[in-house]
Amino acid sequence: MRRWLVFIGALLFFAPGLFAQNLKLEKTISAPAEADVRFTAVSPKGDFIAGACKDGRVRLWSFPGGELRQVLDLKDEKISGVWFSNDGSLLAVGGTRGGVRIWQIPSGKLKLEFRAAGQVDALAISPNRELLALAPSSESAAPAELWDLTTGKEVTDLPTKFGGSLALAFSPDSQRLAVADADTEIRIFEAQTGAIRATNDDFLLEPFALAFSADGKSVFVGGADKTISTLDAASGKVTGAFPKQGFVVQQLQVSYDGKFLVAVYFDQASSRNPAPVLIWNIAAQKVQTTILQPDVTPNGGGFVPDGRLLLTSSSGNMLKVWSVR
Amino acid sequence: MATLSRPALTRREILEKCVALGTVAIASSYPASAMAAAFAEQEKRPRKPTPPNDLGPFYKKRAPETALLRAPGDPGMPLTVSGQIFNTRGDTLSNAVVEVWQTDNLGHYDLDGYRYRGKLPVDSSAAYKFDSVMPGHYPDRVCQHVHYLVTAPGHKPLITQLYFATDPVFEGDPDHNFTRDPLIHSRELVRPVILTGDPHEVLAAVRFELCLELL
Repeated sequence: MRRWLVFIGALLFFAPGLFAQNLKLEKTISAPAEADVRFTAVSPKGDFIAGACKDGRVRLWSFPGGELRQVLDLKDEKISGVWFSNDGSLLAVGGTRGGVRIWQIPSGKLKLEFRAAGQVDALAISPNRELLALAPSSESAAPAELWDLTTGKEVTDLPTKFGGSLALAFSPDSQRLAVADADTEIRIFEAQTGAIRATNDDFLLEPFALAFSADGKSVFVGGADKTISTLDAASGKVTGAFPKQGFVVQQLQVSYDGKFLVAVYFDQASSRNPAPVLIWNIAAQKVQTTILQPDVTPNGGGFVPDGRLLLTSSSGNMLKVWSVR
Repeated sequence: MATLSRPALTRREILEKCVALGTVAIASSYPASAMAAAFAEQEKRPRKPTPPNDLGPFYKKRAPETALLRAPGDPGMPLTVSGQIFNTRGDTLSNAVVEVWQTDNLGHYDLDGYRYRGKLPVDSSAAYKFDSVMPGHYPDRVCQHVHYLVTAPGHKPLITQLYFATDPVFEGDPDHNFTRDPLIHSRELVRPVILTGDPHEVLAAVRFELCLELL
């Protein structure tokens, strides 16, 4: 499914997108000609932006300075995803043929390299940086994989009934791993061993996004049902739901202080249609900020420690970084 | 109105009928039923697995058990899809579960309900069939398509999609143009379409055999 989302991401690149009245342009960065930025990852510390470019390389720019610090690649493999660890000290890059490379940031020293069973569509690094979980594309039907970053060996596979997994998230204490599966189940594992601890089979439609609450007690789940549900992380049971929106939930992230949840949506009728990015107040289960205007299409972003949400957008080889409080 | 339906008889029953009608002559002292069974068994042949294809973002579980996805008066060209389910040894899989889902004729998926979604009945010869409408072009995809999820005990689940040779995107030449949809990796998934009826009411029919890999 993520491959499909990358595909619609490519469409979005050429389509009218999103903007917010309250967005502030922070920085414009020029990539080399013919190296358009397809999508980005923002370091959770807010000090780097990694952009997957059309020339098959990942460029690492400092932020807010905008200096090019590293140019990384998967040899001759196309990039399918870019992810930072929670502290920003590791950058993982996955490829369309299952290649995975993990670099130390900012040195650019290669820490680990291995090959997954298929195109890497989702990936998460545990907050203690000891474990990595990834999900190959649903077309490969390969199960999610759990890797030990200290030994460089795979711990176990996490097979599903069919179709593999779509999203992964570690708990803040690195003890639990939540996985959203194409068969619509949510599973919560003991992270060190891959032993199953809880399962939720309530969802009818595919879940695409997962995020743990800051205290690790809840898991937020969003997907094609257009609703963000709250699950008890211990039992897996649904404990609540945010008001349903008219759009499919594509990504979720919790702010550093644990008070806000950013949700990226897309329109089921067509990803060319504008769809909002919403910042939810978790306690009140109300929308705090709506980001929606037909000027810019975000292709990456995330919360940073000072409370801002950074979003990136691309136009040709120009990468723009926006912020909203 | 012309209608299309799958044979009501199994392959073995058809052979027995052929024997009874003299279409097939058996020069053997064994009963016709035994010879027909042996014929059917020898006709069994290894098959290539159906190429997999992306699940897509809008699978919905617990679809109703029905072969009638089209409601009376639904706009769009009536479509009948039929086929048989095998494994790579050539065995028929009458215990297979086939789920299909698609857009309506305008390219919209129903996420709130189960329109154009169904869990299909499979008969004793592992044949399936459903009545629907030709799906529209979903705006984020290039080609018209129907999603399949096929499961059977002892076999790998098959997730795939059916495409139509008549899709305007192929401009009449799917051999050369099937890659216009970047998610189509196999020409095999683009199936011929048989048009029947009259100019006032054209019906489309497609055969799509499914072959699962053994675990």
